[in-house]
Order: sequence, then C-alpha cells, then structure tokens
Amino acid sequence: MTSSVLVALTIGLPWLGALCISFGVRDRSERAQHALAILFAVTSGLAALALLPTAANATILRIPVGGVFGDFTFNPDGLGVFLASVATVVGSLAVIFSVDYMRGEKQLGRYYALVLLFIGAMAGLALTGSILLLFIFWEITALCSYALISFYNDDPKAVAGGIKALIMTQIGGVGLLVGALIVYAYLGGYDISLLIEKANTLPPGVLNVLAFGFLIAAAAKSAQFPFQTWLPDAMEAPTPVSALIHAATMVNAGVYLLARFYPAFAPVPGWTMAVMIVGMLSALLTAIMALVATDLKRVLAYSTVSQLGYMVYAVGAGSILASQFHLLSHAVFKALLFLGAGAVIHAIGTRDLRKMGGLGRQMPLIRTTFIIGALALVGIPILNGFWSKEMVLEAGLSGGPAWIWIVMLIGAGLTALYTFRVVWMVFFGAPRGDDNHGATHAHDATHAMRFALVVLAVGALTTWLLIGPFSGLIASSFGAVAAGQPHELSLTEMIAEVVTAPATGIALIVIALAIGAAWWRRDKLTALGNRLGWLSRMATDSFGFEWINRTIVRGTQAIAGGLRVTQTGALNWNILGIVGGLIVVLAILAMGVAR
Amino acid sequence: MTFIVGVLALAAVVCAAMALRAGKALVSALWLAGTSALVAFMLYLMGAHEIAVVELSVGAGLVTILFVFAISVAGDEALDVRTVIPRPLAIGLVIAAGLLLGWFTVAQPMAGLIQPIAAPVAAPLADVLWNQRGLDVLVQIVLIFGGVLGVIGLLADSAEKPDVKGPEAGVRDQTAEEVQL
Amino acid sequence: MTWTPLTLVLIGVICLLGVGFYGLLISRNLIKIIVALQILGKAALIAFVMAGNVNGQTGQGQALAMTIIVADTIVAVVGLALAVQVRRRFGTMDIKALSNLKG
Repeated sequence: MTSSVLVALTIGLPWLGALCISFGVRDRSERAQHALAILFAVTSGLAALALLPTAANATILRIPVGGVFGDFTFNPDGLGVFLASVATVVGSLAVIFSVDYMRGEKQLGRYYALVLLFIGAMAGLALTGSILLLFIFWEITALCSYALISFYNDDPKAVAGGIKALIMTQIGGVGLLVGALIVYAYLGGYDISLLIEKANTLPPGVLNVLAFGFLIAAAAKSAQFPFQTWLPDAMEAPTPVSALIHAATMVNAGVYLLARFYPAFAPVPGWTMAVMIVGMLSALLTAIMALVATDLKRVLAYSTVSQLGYMVYAVGAGSILASQFHLLSHAVFKALLFLGAGAVIHAIGTRDLRKMGGLGRQMPLIRTTFIIGALALVGIPILNGFWSKEMVLEAGLSGGPAWIWIVMLIGAGLTALYTFRVVWMVFFGAPRGDDNHGATHAHDATHAMRFALVVLAVGALTTWLLIGPFSGLIASSFGAVAAGQPHELSLTEMIAEVVTAPATGIALIVIALAIGAAWWRRDKLTALGNRLGWLSRMATDSFGFEWINRTIVRGTQAIAGGLRVTQTGALNWNILGIVGGLIVVLAILAMGVAR
Repeated sequence: MTFIVGVLALAAVVCAAMALRAGKALVSALWLAGTSALVAFMLYLMGAHEIAVVELSVGAGLVTILFVFAISVAGDEALDVRTVIPRPLAIGLVIAAGLLLGWFTVAQPMAGLIQPIAAPVAAPLADVLWNQRGLDVLVQIVLIFGGVLGVIGLLADSAEKPDVKGPEAGVRDQTAEEVQL
Repeated sequence: MTWTPLTLVLIGVICLLGVGFYGLLISRNLIKIIVALQILGKAALIAFVMAGNVNGQTGQGQALAMTIIVADTIVAVVGLALAVQVRRRFGTMDIKALSNLKG
C-alpha cells in the first residue's frame, strides 16, 4: 500500500509541480518558480529513493480503465525503480543547477513546467508495467524533449534541432505502438510480464518483427546507429536540459527498453548480434566524431551516443547488469560533465572550444569536478566509469565475438583521446578567447551550481560502491525467466572479477597509450580537425548517415505540408470529412460482415 | 409500451429537426429543450430514472437557460441563407451513413442482441458510479472545473478589452462576404 | 424482425445522429452548431443507456450516460461563452465569415 502511494507520488509530484508553476505562479515571481520547482523535484526524488527498498517484481498499482486499454499497471521492479531514481535525482540536481543557469531568463514558467513534466513522465516510463502506458510516457518524454530543445524558439537552429529530435524519436514511438498492438492482438493484454512469459508462444515471424521493431525504436530514442545525428543537434537546449534529458535519462530509455525485453527477444536468431553491432557502430563512429568536433556540447553529445553504444553492446552480449551499471555511472558522470560545461558556457558565453583555454585558473571548482567526470568517462581506476566500463568489456568478451570486443577497445582508446582533448582545450593551455567572450570575464560557479556539481562529483567517485545492492535490484527484476539472468554480485566479488580479468589490463593499456599520445602531441590537439581534414569532413557529415536522418525529417515535413490542404478551418467541410470517414469505415465493416 | 416508445422517439427526432429548421436561435433553443424533455421521458421508460431526472433538469433546464442567456447577450442573427455544402450532398451523405448504421444494428444478426435480457444485473447506479467508475467521477469533476475556468477566462477577457470592431464592422464583413458569394 | 421497444429506440438514435450531423454540415450559425452538437449528445446518451439495458449492466450504462451529460453540458457552456465572445469581437457568428477572417 505504501509503495503504491510512493509510485503515485514519484510520478504525480512533478506533474503537480508543473501545473502549479504554469497555472499558479506563471511568470509573476521568479523566486517562487525556482523554489516550487526545487520543492517538487526533490520530493519526487525522495519518493523514488524510498521506493528502492520495496522494489518487487509485482504489480502494486492497478488503475482499471475498462476493457479496451487493459488496466494501467505500475510494476516497480528493480530495473524500473532504479531508472526512476536516476531520473528524479538527476532531475532534482538539474533543477537546482537551473536556479543559477536560468536566472533572469524569460518564460521561466514554461521551462520549469516542461522539465517537471519530463521528470514525471520519465519516472512513469520506468515504473509502468503496461506496454501501452510505456508508449504514452515515451511520447510525453519525446514531447518535452522537443519543446525544451526549441526552448529558445526565436533561434532557427534550436527550432530545427527540436523538430529533428521530435521526428526521429517518433519513429521509435511508432515502432513501440505497433509492438504494443501486436502484443495485444496475439496475447490479449498489454502487460510487459505477459510478453516476457509468453514470448515463445508467438509465431516466430511475429516475434522477429517485434524484436527488430523494438530495436529500431530503442536505436531512435537512444540516438544509436543509424539515427545518431539528432542528439548533437539537440544541443541547442539549455544546458541543464541537455544534462538531464540528453545525457542522463531520456536517451537511456532505449537501453532500458532493450534490457527490459531482453528475456523475450534473446532467443530470436540474430537479434543479439544485431544489438551488438548497433552498439559497436554507434560507439566507434561517434567517438571519431567527438575527436574532431569544435563545439563543447557537441563533443559531449557524441560522447553520450558513444557511451550509450557501450550499454547497448552490453545488452547484446547478454549482461544486463553491466549495461545498467554503466547506465548508472554514465548518468552520473555525464550529467556532471554537462553541468560543468554549462557552468563554463554560462561564464564565458560561447560554446566554441577554440575560443576557450586556460580557464582552469579562474574556475578551480569547475575544473576539478569536470576533470573528475572526465576521468570517469575515460575509465580511470577507482572512479565509477572504470568499474562499469570494464564490466561491459568483460561481458562483451565472454558473450560476443572477439572482433567486436577489439573494436570496442579501440573505442575506449578514442574516448580517452577526445576526453583529454576537451579538458586540455577548455582548462589548460593559453587563453584563446577574443575580447567579447574572453576568458577574462570568467568566474567560478555560484552556489546552486556548486551544489549540483559537487554532489555529482562525489557520485562519480562513489557510486560503484553500491554494486552489491544494485546487482540485487537488477537480479530481482529478472526472475528465473531469463537464461543468463543477472546474478547478485557483492563489492568484493566485483573488484576481484574486474581486477583479475585480463581484459582490464589490456583496456587500461589502451587507455594509457591514448592519453600518452595525447599528452605528447597536446599542442597539436586544437588543430586536430584541420590535420585530419578528410576524416573531419566525413565525421561532421556523420559518415553519410546524416542523409538518412535528413531524408526522414524532410519527408515527414513534406507529407505534413501536403496534408495541410485538408485542414481548411471550415467547420462544415471538416464535418463532411468525418461523415465521409464514417461511411467508409462502415462500408468496409459491412463488406466484412456480409462475406 | 412499444407504441409509446416509438411515438416518443419519433417526436424527439421531429423536435430535433425543428430545432435546426427554426429561423431564430431562440426558437431553436426551445425546440432543443423539447427534444431534451422527450429524451428524458424515453430514458425514464427505459428504467434509467436517475439519469432521466438529471437530463430533464440539466439538459432541458440549465442548458436552455444558458442558451437563452447567451442569445440575449449576443443577439440573434439569421444566417442560414446559403449553405457551404450543397444541401442534397449533405442529405445524401447523412442518409447513407444512417442506412449503413441501421443495416448494421437493426437488420443484421447482431440485432438479435437487441432484446432485453430477462433478468438484468441489478447494480444500482450510485453503487456503480462511486465504486466501479470512481475515475469517471473524478474526470467529471475536473471537466466541470475546467469548463468553469474556461468560461471565466473567456468572459473576463472581454471586460479588459472592449470591442475592437463595432457591430458595423461585422455588417461590413458580412456584406463583403455576400459580394464574394 | 420483431419491433421490440429497443429496436425503435435504436432507430430513433440513428435518426437523431443523422439530424445532428446534418445540422453540423449545413449550419453556419455558431449557436445552431452548438444545438446540433447537443442533439448528437442526446443520441449518444440514449445509446449508452440502451446498451446498458441490453447487456444487463444497467448501472454501467447509466454511469457512462452521466458522464456524457456532464461532458455535453460543459461543451454547451464553453461553446456558448465562445459564441458570445466571438460575436462581441467580430460582430458576426457566421463561421464562414469567421474562417475567412484569419486571426
């Protein structure tokens, strides 16, 4: 009973906050808006954390809505509660960070309302037990993502990026909806557990369609190959939004989807291989793109896609635990990196890496926390990224072919290289800023920013200590259903496993080599894009996959433009359309009945 | 019984048609009230006593008052001179849809369902409403609040901004419209 | 085919639907359009109560009919407020003229 209340609070509180902010205070008092947003986000985070101990693989909240849609169920098992906690806690920190970052912005009410709506929807996505409801929450997150990317809606780039993100993630949404309807048609219900239990009773063709359809849905949502180009364009959003939606939570929904349905789809021939290849290509290609990008946030966006590739790869290799553990680590350190980048951008007013440099002295706190995040991203021992990345690589070696593993290893080396480059270009070397956005104006983070950064930095240093309870959580949500289901892993076991594995040594050597190479040629890093001209051109064009995305976006817009003819705004004609449609539907039905 | 229900249904349809034929909006609203009262009587005969009362008081009473109020504020305007959609087309479409629907529900084997089951499950309305469909009641409350807020917003808006165009502007628009036609 | 009372009610429902749709197709007066919407609502109302009787779940049908009454009334209220407002602003309630105004 208490946990059902907690579920309702986790989802409902942010939504209530969104209502209060958009209808209650509006833009009358900025202070009230900040305070309300923090209040609702933090209480929702606390509710989600309170759910953690009671996570159980059972339906605890069931809202009957009649026979057509099935019951709306909420099923907070370990996997779901974990993702909901990440969403609400990182969400709270992003909201706290926003107090400083968004101070004095216009239309703050719209901003906070959308962020809170997103937090609630993300928690709902993680906690629900119904595929239909999963789809609805999935779409709400996509809508919030779109609206927040285009938050500065007088900037055409922001609007274009938002539209692109919306259309690309809709592909995923449509796939999910079709999947839900297929499940309903064949199994008579929308429950996720129903699909997982009875997946083997489905005809093989149908299961194939479902499995690959969901893979496409996940790839579109998580910006994986070949849809990886919407995420960098989404970087026009305010930075806390990038940290929350496009690094820590929404893009993880795809990985979550794959992990959630892994037991159902793993037996489909070729599916795990396809998942691994999608992960590998995303990880490798975007790592190269990150190497030559000159926009601070775009580098981080590429890096996000790359790290999501590692998670997808781990799911394909059969280790949901490694994938979700890397998801946790990544959510923490990437949110930290984004917020750090946000603090830098806020201070100097540009995102161009070539105009930064030598900022470390003016902003020591930002520098320190950013470097902690960067080290975690690279996978330096003791930080959380090290443990989870090693687990991913180990799982890949044992569960997948060696050549993919080697490619992923190269990806790890590239990660080290581009991370070093970013840190060097921002915080070290000679100041390169011109007068307008010069480093001379730079100042260190203010209070709210400091708080969020320090909490996340401490998280990046320590979350790996939680592996014991964490693995318990994940294991509990996959009963005996999955063949290679995650097992509980205590801290000492994990340390022993990671340290003794030969893969760790090799990975560390690759990373060390990459950093060494970067240090050796550190002065040439800035011009790396120019030196590797052909690669750079290919990379900025996403190796030609940009045109797939562009074609989809343009095609959709063209269809939409064509359909505008039908929206005359003349009521009588619209009613004519409705009556005509009714006749057509009835005629089709009549043909069916008469036969 | 059959006879009474048939007559009532026929009367309701005639009232509805008259409501649409009426030239003045006020007359139209009164015919609508008549339809509503006849529908309420039908509902009563079908055993839905509570609903019949609510329909009579809300549908025939409240809504009619609102119509009269709105018409007295906004004024009447006889318009239906020339329709956007040709009348024969509209009639044809409506009859086609009606025949299809009728064929489905009355003439088909499905019509076998149109027999009252001997012993209906006697779940009283209040019980169903509060226990089984609690969510509906909640949504209704939200709807009512939303509606009230909407009306307040709409009417408050007019208090702040006086008429941008006078009624003459409207006349001008209309004449321009006629010229266009 | 026997002429049970419910068959007659069903025919009445279909006729009411037809009249309502016809009104929506033909009418250019905003108030008339709201009247037509109300007629459509009445048809749905009877249909739900009848479906409840037919399936032996009278309570369910009536509960849904209740929802329809509420929703329908809200539609009328908001629609009429809108009509009053439109008349004040633009001086006409002709939807054709209004859709030609474009803002």
